[in-house]
Amino acid sequence: MESEALITLGKAIGAGLAMIGAAGGGVGIGLAVGGAVQAMGRNPDFTPTIQTNMILGVAFAEAVAIYALVVSLIILFVL
Amino acid sequence: MSPLESLGINGGYLAIQIIAFIVIYTLLSRFIYDPLAKALRERRERIAQGLEDAAAAESARKNAEAERDNILREARAEAAKIIDDARSRGEEVAAQIEAEARADADKLRADARAEASQQLEQQLAGLRGQVAQISVAMARQLINTEIDSKRQQALVSEFFSKVPAAAKGMSGKVEVVSAMPLDDKEKDQVRKQLGADEVTFIVDPSILGGLVVRGQDRVIDGSVRSGLSEMAASLN
Amino acid sequence: MGINWKGKRRYIALLMLIASIAVFLIAPPVVPVVQLPGEVYPEGWKLFGVLSMPDTGLPMTNTMMGSIIVWVIIGLLTIYVATRRPSSGDEVPRGGFYNLFEMAFEGLYNFIGGIAAGPYQHEIFKVFMTIFLIVLLSNWLELIPSVDSIGFLEPHYEEIVDEETGEVIGEELTDGFETIEILSGVFHLNGKCEWISPEAATELTPEEQQARADRGCVTGTGVELPPPVLFEGADDHGDEAAHDEEQGAAESEEAAPEGEESAESAEEAVAGEAEHAEEEVHIPIHAVAAGDPNVPWVVLPYVRVPSTDLNLTIALAIIAVVWTQAIGFRALGIGYLGKFFNFKTIFTSPLGGIDVAVGLLELVGEFAKLLSFSFRLLGNIFAGSILLFVTSFVFPIIFPLPFFILEFFVGIIQAVVFGLLTAIFMNLATQSHDHDEHDDAHAH
Repeated sequence: MESEALITLGKAIGAGLAMIGAAGGGVGIGLAVGGAVQAMGRNPDFTPTIQTNMILGVAFAEAVAIYALVVSLIILFVL
Repeated sequence: MSPLESLGINGGYLAIQIIAFIVIYTLLSRFIYDPLAKALRERRERIAQGLEDAAAAESARKNAEAERDNILREARAEAAKIIDDARSRGEEVAAQIEAEARADADKLRADARAEASQQLEQQLAGLRGQVAQISVAMARQLINTEIDSKRQQALVSEFFSKVPAAAKGMSGKVEVVSAMPLDDKEKDQVRKQLGADEVTFIVDPSILGGLVVRGQDRVIDGSVRSGLSEMAASLN
Repeated sequence: MGINWKGKRRYIALLMLIASIAVFLIAPPVVPVVQLPGEVYPEGWKLFGVLSMPDTGLPMTNTMMGSIIVWVIIGLLTIYVATRRPSSGDEVPRGGFYNLFEMAFEGLYNFIGGIAAGPYQHEIFKVFMTIFLIVLLSNWLELIPSVDSIGFLEPHYEEIVDEETGEVIGEELTDGFETIEILSGVFHLNGKCEWISPEAATELTPEEQQARADRGCVTGTGVELPPPVLFEGADDHGDEAAHDEEQGAAESEEAAPEGEESAESAEEAVAGEAEHAEEEVHIPIHAVAAGDPNVPWVVLPYVRVPSTDLNLTIALAIIAVVWTQAIGFRALGIGYLGKFFNFKTIFTSPLGGIDVAVGLLELVGEFAKLLSFSFRLLGNIFAGSILLFVTSFVFPIIFPLPFFILEFFVGIIQAVVFGLLTAIFMNLATQSHDHDEHDDAHAH
């Protein structure tokens, strides 16, 4: 029982630490969207192009956060 | 437990999901995507066609409006012309009618005046006989002599139409004023005695008898009235 | 249809509010067991108590049931739109929902047309739209009250595995709740009373026992429990349902008679009990009458959001990635491979080696797409559904509403992102690098 509780504790801490990686994704998405909105404000005619590229960039940035999520899910449910 | 199992990944479920996706894709393509996309394309074309038609109709309408404006302007000018014509003609006709009416009125007035003077002359002519008879009767009383009717006629004639001696041989236009209207014989006689070109006869009972002849530059008064007034002046 | 709802909706809302308060008082919500894989339906379950499922070797799971619901909805939508679709040249309005659908369809069609113009536009749109519909409906299932909260009432146990042999040697009753019967055959978990085993109950102090008794609990109060009620074969006991009114908004009570066990399984379980009776605390779980206080109970929801199951998200990701490669090959022929194995410039350009590395990275990126596609959707919706039932557990009246609105939009956004990324990747796959620059020069 003691060791099980320890394992659960370790899993929880590990999963929580793994999710710190999501912060990077958040910062990246914020930068991408901020830049895109500025660009759209200055050059509204190119909004569709900018939007498409923004979504692509956001998706790639989010992928990093998702890797963190995957690691944390694996720690919680697989290990 | 394998890692895949603990994440719940199972080949069977995966296959079912993929097959389901393909089936859904096929069904939706067949019954929704293809027909609806076709309908949308057709609608877009129809709208474009409609817009084109509308533009054509718009230009046609503009042309028609311009033409209508032209026609209206012409019609308005023509109408103004017709009205002007009618007005001038109306004025002419009105002037003509007025002139005719005035002429008629003048004629009527002249006729009425002539008739009135004629009647006056007739009455005076009637009166002349009576006056003559009265004066002859009075003279018979005074002189107690018989005057036969022929003599009487000559007297009367002389009384009324005796041309003063000074007036004989006058020329130009002459006005002869008599107390009673003269008959044609007397007029001829007067004319002959005066020897004037144009003689106008005027009746003025106030001179009582005799004739007043007015020439262009002189008046010879051979009236009884002036004789009487001379007599009265010498008597006084 | 004929009723004029204008102005009456506020009374409906008021009624719902009152109903949610009533349900909250009768059956306070309980946090469900969080588990990543779809929960497997109990053996021998029947749909509506009548239809039995053929044994396919794949057990039914509640996320699969969610997927089936989504498929049914899409099927109904297809029938609705296909029958209402105007024939060519006919422009008669078709009613509110059809017009809404057509408007959304046209908007998305033009949207994709702006991203992926070209000969593959129609196909890309079709893939986008199918992914969008499936993901959107899957995501929105979490907004329906009773999803994640109404389900089978299950005794909660864990298998005991022999550490040396790896064999299952018994079952251990673990955390769960006591139940309260609110209607005949309809139970809800008593969130105030965690079940405790008779051994644990003996260790409680009298004060603790009194506190449990005050909360209306049965176990752990020092009361001698009646022995477990075992099923008889002919007994009609099948109505197992639990109400865990997670949603604050009131939902009509639904007593679904499902989860009927067969007589054989009961007998087997009885036999099993005899074998293990001495070694373990083992109660033959399939043979216990619903609501028996001798065992802890949990709810196994009938339906769970299918987007929280990796099978759906990975299937969609596989389709998106494989279809992208297929379109790439069709558009560029074998030259499509040049994108990944770029040896053209290795000897002509000083940076040729880098081109090779970039190409290989793109190849790796295709596999990374699988991971990011599937886990993005899963992560968002899984977190969302946990958020929804946790907020409902904290305070179920009014409080969860903003989160429902949030999840409504998250559902749309994730569906759009999944479909849009697929469309963008497909469009990129149809354009070779050389042609790209050429086209750009041409266009400017």
